[in-house]
Amino acid sequence: MRFVDEYRSGDLAQKLAHELSALVEPGREVKIMEVCGGHTHAIYKHGLEDLVPPEVDFVHGPGCPVCVIPMGRVDDAIALAERPEVIFTTFGDMMRVPGGRGSLLEAKARGADVRMVYSPLDALEVARKNPDREVICCAIGFETTAPATALTLLRAREQRVANFSAFCNHVTIGPPLRAILDSPGLRIEAFIAPGHVSTIIGTRPYEFIVREYGKPVVVTAFEPIDILQATVMLVGQLREGRCEVENQYTRVVRRNGNPRALAALEETMELRDTFEWRGLGWIEQSALKLRPEFAQWDAEARFELPGDRVEDPKACQCGEVLIGAIKPWECKVFGTACTPERPIGTCMVSSEGACAAYYNYGRLARRREPAPA
Amino acid sequence: MTAEPERCLTCGDVAVEARVVEVAGSTAVVVAEGKRERVGIELVEPVAAGELLLCHAGIAIEKLA
Repeated sequence: MRFVDEYRSGDLAQKLAHELSALVEPGREVKIMEVCGGHTHAIYKHGLEDLVPPEVDFVHGPGCPVCVIPMGRVDDAIALAERPEVIFTTFGDMMRVPGGRGSLLEAKARGADVRMVYSPLDALEVARKNPDREVICCAIGFETTAPATALTLLRAREQRVANFSAFCNHVTIGPPLRAILDSPGLRIEAFIAPGHVSTIIGTRPYEFIVREYGKPVVVTAFEPIDILQATVMLVGQLREGRCEVENQYTRVVRRNGNPRALAALEETMELRDTFEWRGLGWIEQSALKLRPEFAQWDAEARFELPGDRVEDPKACQCGEVLIGAIKPWECKVFGTACTPERPIGTCMVSSEGACAAYYNYGRLARRREPAPA
Repeated sequence: MTAEPERCLTCGDVAVEARVVEVAGSTAVVVAEGKRERVGIELVEPVAAGELLLCHAGIAIEKLA
């Protein structure tokens, strides 16, 4: 199956939905967590919640690497951007994240030279074209994106570009999954793992979920049919008492991932001892920083940062939404004080966040509940 | 219902399938959704014109089977 139309086929979707109805135990809810904005987006855009039996409940985990950047770190980015010699480059969604002192977009409106890019390689190009300025690349994303930063750093070194540096905020998928699994009262039974992160890291990093927590995982592509297929695979595992990491995205994901990408990451970056995740708190070994050999291209080594910690607003219940303890509409400020235009917390900040997806696709109230057994 | 919000490529873990048109050193010119762009190919080379690559944030992260 190579064509998008086949993946979006209504008939196949209905067939998979019927298969699911036959697999679920009537009245017994099954909570399945996905941790990727792309999956959240596909579920809401294509109405998959209404297609699956009411027993299947999709829960949205912390899949947005922009949204989990704490407010104080956004303030650090703004401090860098406001330096007169700096051109600060960033991906689009990062521009709207509110820190304690507003957003990068607001800083841009006040005169900071903030430019949107689609790749850290673009930022390196900006540095080459502007030798009299300091170009800083805001390096954000999970393991899917970190290799692009790694390759950019290697090219910067090879080409001796002296006026380029990266402000590294890359995060890794394993530790927040473990933090969620360790949450008391967690009712998630299975996981849909992010397909493109897995292209880089492979399927092996999820094996701890099976081994230590006894919960099945399916690495999944991003079309609605893929998500439905993964759901059938997961519910099938639960029904049969199996517990494995399965790969639904065999077109591009291999067990060992992309060795060259992993080597580039290993050469340029290392794990931070700990990193603060907005809504989840401090998580050990969950984020990357540049190796000392790359200090010349490390914005944290080259520039002073305020480094202040900013508390999330008291009304924010993102932490509970992120582990699936509450649904977006159960948050007291959802849709009222917290909207996509004026987000309070991480889940609403990015268009891929759970709350933003719910809000933008009109899901403002509770969905149907399974009938009691 | 509001209009579909703009996708963020990092948050959505978005990667795009693109066909190679031309290779020049560690960079390939690819076409995806009618648009041409340059991507770094260090992670997947060697590549040839006509091959399909999975691209994210300006680099190819895998070749498509």
